[in-house]
Amino acid sequence: MAMLEVKDIHTYYGNIHALKGISLTVEENEIVTLIGGNGAGKTTTLRTISGLIHPRSGEVFFEGEKITETPAHELVYKGITMVPEGRGIFARLTVFENLDMGAYSQPDRSNFNDDLERVFQLFPRLKERRSQVAGTLSGGEQQMLATARALMARPRLMLMDEPSMGLAPILVESVFETIVEINKSGTTILLVEQNAMVALSVADRGYVLQTGEIVLRDTAENLRQNEMVQKAYLGIE
Amino acid sequence: MRDQLKASARSGLIFGVVIIFLMLFGLTKTLSDILGELFNLQSITRTGNSGGLMLLFALLAWWAGSRAAKEDKENWKAVLRNGAVSGLVIGSITALFTFLVGSLDGADIEMRTYLAQLDRPSVQFLLYGRSIIAGALMTFFIFLIFNLVGALASYILETRHAGGYLQKKYLQIKDRISGTSIVVRYKEHPQSKWIGYGILLAGTLLMPQFLGKYWNYAMGTVGIYVIMGLGLNIVVGLAGLLDLGYVAFFAIGAYTVGLLTAPAPIPIQWSFWPVLVISILLAAFAGILLGIPVLRMRGDYLAIVTLGFGEIIRVLIRSDMMSPYLGGPQGVRDIGGPSLFGISLSNERAYLYLIILGILLAILLTNFLQKSRVGRAWMAMREDETVAQAMGINTLYYKLMAFATGAAFAGFGGVLFAARNQYTGPADHTLMVSINVLSLLIVGGMGSIPGVMIGAFVLKGLPEVLRELDIYRLLVFGALLVIMMIIRPEGIWPAPRRRMELHESGLEEIPPDESLIGEEG
Repeated sequence: MAMLEVKDIHTYYGNIHALKGISLTVEENEIVTLIGGNGAGKTTTLRTISGLIHPRSGEVFFEGEKITETPAHELVYKGITMVPEGRGIFARLTVFENLDMGAYSQPDRSNFNDDLERVFQLFPRLKERRSQVAGTLSGGEQQMLATARALMARPRLMLMDEPSMGLAPILVESVFETIVEINKSGTTILLVEQNAMVALSVADRGYVLQTGEIVLRDTAENLRQNEMVQKAYLGIE
Repeated sequence: MRDQLKASARSGLIFGVVIIFLMLFGLTKTLSDILGELFNLQSITRTGNSGGLMLLFALLAWWAGSRAAKEDKENWKAVLRNGAVSGLVIGSITALFTFLVGSLDGADIEMRTYLAQLDRPSVQFLLYGRSIIAGALMTFFIFLIFNLVGALASYILETRHAGGYLQKKYLQIKDRISGTSIVVRYKEHPQSKWIGYGILLAGTLLMPQFLGKYWNYAMGTVGIYVIMGLGLNIVVGLAGLLDLGYVAFFAIGAYTVGLLTAPAPIPIQWSFWPVLVISILLAAFAGILLGIPVLRMRGDYLAIVTLGFGEIIRVLIRSDMMSPYLGGPQGVRDIGGPSLFGISLSNERAYLYLIILGILLAILLTNFLQKSRVGRAWMAMREDETVAQAMGINTLYYKLMAFATGAAFAGFGGVLFAARNQYTGPADHTLMVSINVLSLLIVGGMGSIPGVMIGAFVLKGLPEVLRELDIYRLLVFGALLVIMMIIRPEGIWPAPRRRMELHESGLEEIPPDESLIGEEG
C-alpha cells in the first residue's frame, strides 16, 4: 500500500477547472517530484492534498485512511506537514519562536529539545540566528527555517512547495542536499518544483503536469532522458 | 542638509499645530495656571497666568529645539540651523494664530459663538495682556529663542564631550527618566518587578479609601474601560481580529443585568451575583454566535461586519418593536446592585473595589492565556493564518475563543456599568464606546496590559481631570491619535514585539520570551 494515494482528483477555483483528474502515489521513504510550468496545477495539487482546498471529486488516502475532506490543521497530527510556497515563515517572530510554532502539534514537550537539536544539526546557521527576527534572514536562511519548522512537527510525509524559488543556484544545491538528508533519516517527501533539473536529480520518481493533467509519469532517471521533458523543462535541445 | 532642514521644519509644523490645538480648547490656560502656581509667577491678565503661559511656551520650544537638534548632533552650526528653522516655523504659526485671533477680537467679532474657549479675556490672556502686535511678536520670539536654547542645550549636554560632570549628571537623569530603561531594569531584576507590582497593587487597593465619592466614580469608569480594553486587547491585540462592534457585547451585559434585576419591563428580580454570571456567559455566547458566520472573513471585511453588528444591537434596543421587552428609548431603570452577607455594596467605593477585582481577574486570565498554547496559537494566527493552519492550529476554533473571551470581558464591563448607574439605555451603547476602547488600545499600546491601563487613564481619566476637554472630546481623540501615530506609533507602553516591529533600530534581535526559555531548559 502506498503511503499517499491520490485518486482522480478534480479541483476547482470557482468555475475554473484547475485539476482535471490527477492521480499519483507516493511510497514510503521515496522522494517524488511534481514538475511542470506556471499554472500547470502543481501547487493546487499540493494544496488539495494538504487540505487547504478540497476537491470536487476524487479521493486522497494517507496510509490507507481517507483524508479528502480532512481540514489542513488536522493533517499535521496524522503526520503530514507542508513547507509552504514562498517560504511562508512567521516573519515577525524570531527563529526560535518559528521553530516552537512548528512543534505546536507535538503533545509531548519532552521531545522538543531533541528535535531542536536535530534541526540545528541539519541547519547550523539557524542555531547561530536563533534569536533573530525571521524576516531579517536571507532568502536561503528563510527556506532553511521553513523546512526546519516543518521538521519540528515530526512528519512522516513532508510536502514541499517550490523550495528553490528565488534562491541563488548555490543555495538551491545546498537546500536539495538537505532534502536528501532529511529523506534518508526517514521522512517521505513530495516535492513540487519548477526547477526540473535539480528536482529530478534528487527524486526517485516524477510526474509531469500540464494544464491540470498528468502527461508523464516515470522514474526520475527515465524522465531526465525523456526527449519531451528535456525540451520543455530542462532546456536541452 | 536640505533633508535636515525639511525634517526640522516638519517637526516645527507638528509642534505649531499641536500648540494651536492646545490654545483652541483652552488647555494652555490650565497648564499655564499650573505652571504659574508652581513657580509663583506674576500674572498680568486676570483670566490666566500669563507668566505661566510664557514659561509653558518656553518649555515647549525647548523640547522642540532639542528634537530638532537630533537631526545632526555632531556639528554645532547644523544644530543651530535646525533649531532656528524649527523655531521659525513654530513661532510664525503660533504668532500668526494669536495675531489673527487678536485682530478678529479687535474687530468686535464674537468668536465665542464658534469656539467656546476663545472669549475676550482668553484672547487677552493669549496676548499676555498686551497689544496684538506686541503679543504676537513676543510669542514669536519666545519660540525662536527657546528653540535655539533647547537645541544648543541638547548639543552641549548630549554631544559635546566637554560637558563633564554636568553632562554625566544629565545623562544619568535622562536614563532614569526614559521609560525604556525602566522596562529594561525590570527585565534584568525579576524581584524588583514583583516589588513594583506589589506596590502598585497596594496603592490601587488603598486608593478608594482616600478618594471622595466623585473620584471613586470617575476611577470606576476608568476601571470599566480597563476591563473592556483588556477584552478587546485579546481580540485585536493578540488574535489580530479587528472588531469594531465591541459595544454590542457591552450592551448585552448591561441589558441582561438590567432586565433580570429591574422590576420593569420584565418582572424578574433576581439577585446580582447569579445574574452577573449569566450576563457574562450570555455575552460570550453572543460572541460565538456572531463569530461563526463572520470569522471566515479577514481584515477589513471583518471590521465592517462587526461595526454593523454593533449598530444592529443599538437600533434593536432603541426600537419600538422591542420596547415592551427592552424598555425602548427610555431604557431600564432601577437595576439591582450587589450585596454581600446582607450588606448592600451599592456605593461608589464598593463598586470601585468590585471593578478592581474584575481588573485583577482579567489581567490574570489574559496573562495565563497569552503564555499558554492558546496564546501561541493566537500569535501564529495573527502573523499568518494559512501557515498557522499548516502548523496544526485550528484557526476557526481559536478565533471563536478570542471573540468569546473578549465578549465576556465586555459583558462584564456592561454589567458593572449598568448596575453602578442603576440604569442603562440606548444612549450608553453608541458606536463611541467601541471607538473609545479601540482608541485606548492604540494610545496605550496594542497587546500590552500596562498599555491598556495607561490608555484608559489617558482617554477616560484625563477628561475628568481636565473638564475643559469635555466639549472637544472627539476633536481631542482625533488629534491624539494622529499625534500618536506620528511620534509614537506603537503606543505609550507597547508590547516588546510591537515596539520592535515599528522601530527599525530594534529589528535585529529581541530577547527570547521568558516563558519559552523555561521549557527549553
